[in-house]
Amino acid sequence: MDISENLDSILSTQDELEPLLEESPALVQKRRSQGRIIFDRFVRNKAAVVGAVFLILLFLFCFLGPTVTGHNKPDQQNLTSVTDTLAPPSWKYPFGTDDLGRDELARAMVGGQTSLLVGLSSMLMAIVLGVGIGAFAGFYGGIVDNLLMRLTDVVLSVPLYLLLFVLSATFTDGTPRSVIILIAIFGWTIAARLVRGEFLALKEREFVYAARTVGAKDFRLMFRHILPNAAGPIIVNATLLTSSNIILESVLSYFGFGIKLPNASWGSMLNYGENLADVAPWLIYVPALLIFFTVLSLNLVGDGLRDALDPYMTER
Amino acid sequence: MGRYIIRRLIQAIPLLFLISIAMFGLIHALPGGPAAVIFNPHLTAAGRAALVAKFGLNDPLPVQYLKWLSQMLVGNFGYSFQTNQPVSQIIAERFPNTLQLFGSALVLALILAIILGIIAAVRQGSIVDYTLMTLSYFGIAMPVFVLGLIAQNVFAVQLHWFPPSGLSSPIFGMSPFQSFLDHLDHLFMPMCVLAVAFIAGWSRYMRSSMIEVVKQDYMRTARAKGVSPIPLLIKHALRNAVIPLITVVAIDFGSVAGGAAITEGVFAWPGMGLQFLDSLDRRDYPVLLAMLLLSAVFVISFNLIADILYAVMDPRIRYS
Repeated sequence: MDISENLDSILSTQDELEPLLEESPALVQKRRSQGRIIFDRFVRNKAAVVGAVFLILLFLFCFLGPTVTGHNKPDQQNLTSVTDTLAPPSWKYPFGTDDLGRDELARAMVGGQTSLLVGLSSMLMAIVLGVGIGAFAGFYGGIVDNLLMRLTDVVLSVPLYLLLFVLSATFTDGTPRSVIILIAIFGWTIAARLVRGEFLALKEREFVYAARTVGAKDFRLMFRHILPNAAGPIIVNATLLTSSNIILESVLSYFGFGIKLPNASWGSMLNYGENLADVAPWLIYVPALLIFFTVLSLNLVGDGLRDALDPYMTER
Repeated sequence: MGRYIIRRLIQAIPLLFLISIAMFGLIHALPGGPAAVIFNPHLTAAGRAALVAKFGLNDPLPVQYLKWLSQMLVGNFGYSFQTNQPVSQIIAERFPNTLQLFGSALVLALILAIILGIIAAVRQGSIVDYTLMTLSYFGIAMPVFVLGLIAQNVFAVQLHWFPPSGLSSPIFGMSPFQSFLDHLDHLFMPMCVLAVAFIAGWSRYMRSSMIEVVKQDYMRTARAKGVSPIPLLIKHALRNAVIPLITVVAIDFGSVAGGAAITEGVFAWPGMGLQFLDSLDRRDYPVLLAMLLLSAVFVISFNLIADILYAVMDPRIRYS
């Protein structure tokens, strides 16, 4: 009798709970996916959201802007009247023109395409290289680790800008591709160190032992099991690496070593505009501010990702 | 303590060797090799062969490397392709200018970073802290040459507050005091631009280090024993908080040999960085390689000095 009474009371309270749940479904929290947790934490960081929004707008500006606004002739020289050359920003020329009458808005958009492309591609190459090297070093340890870390130390100890200047003067030809490869060759070191550290820590975990017991080979272990767990710091590093790569490319182009005519980037716009800066300061303000805000937004997003991803396992 | 230093030295030497090998490889990887620029296009084949033999370019690479290294170690960096001056003389001429620029920027940055770091730490969470940290964040994100260009344009070209470039004005008959002031006038902008980048990073570091230190028990004990706040801050907190910052400063100072290249380029300051850029334009490889090697040696040495300094100031590190 007691048991059935208890059972009845339990069942009846469940019936009482049901209508409550219908009225206030907020009491029931659906389990969020990992991605959703990270996204929610990211969105809580207002500065990071501002940075992300700026980056999205910037991409639209650079890649869709030319076709949408009609400012898609960056090399067109408007020489019809004297007010068309060296014109300060106005409705007709929102970013002004240079001494050959070229529209700075169009140049900013097309140059931005190159700058962003170089920054992202070199980052991807560097990350692939760095993750590969770091994974091998961390997983195998011993001599392999020692050798690869020595290599990393050597690359880190050389003065980066000086060496980049020399190499870009000698080996690049002004196209984005050569600049991308050059920057990537020096960008992998921090990612490699990071990944090596993560692998050293993760390879002793139970899931690795379990996978090994089932017969997983080394490569599979590294890239299918361990690497996804190390993804967080890699993503953060990737974002910050993009921002430093954009700066690197701008510096190289500014000194005349990176992107050269006919390709344009924000750095080469600075190079060109520097001589005219006393009469046409907008020629350097436009690319300079674009570079600055891009780098700032990338840094904000990177920091926001760092906060959102660490640790991402705990559900709030 | 001595053993720690020796251990770090022993670790640094293979790295220096590896870097020298990498630089040597670089000479030979550049198009045409080390011989490319010195050979007159009007040379006959026999003449060219004679020059190659004279310079020992036919020797096996390891032999060439050892010969090159032995010369580098005694300071014989070769002769400039452009001016035939000994490279060491060129570097010796330019180094004081870079040292002026870098050194003054460093000192200014250190003083301001410590002050701002302390203020932000003591008023943690307040509007002052928030403003300072936001500004330092902007400073970190701002690339040096962008800041330099904008500052040069705004302050020198548009407002005419400072001269835009160079070391001194081309005015004859200035008294020594006037030329000293003129020199400071030219130094001011590049120094500030260079300092901003350092201040941004260091003040954050100082702030977090200070916050760490203030939480320690010995601070509370000292305060309980009656030490008033400001001497407490300076004598106890500052001394301990400054330790990690000094090591960061030492490491950043390591980039003196090449780190100011961008600022010097923007402001046409005749230091080692500008010499590097000029030599690069003329493909003057002996100068370039000597400077690359020198920079790498500086970087490694100052990393070593930073480690040793840290051990000197914080005894806990030595025994690990």
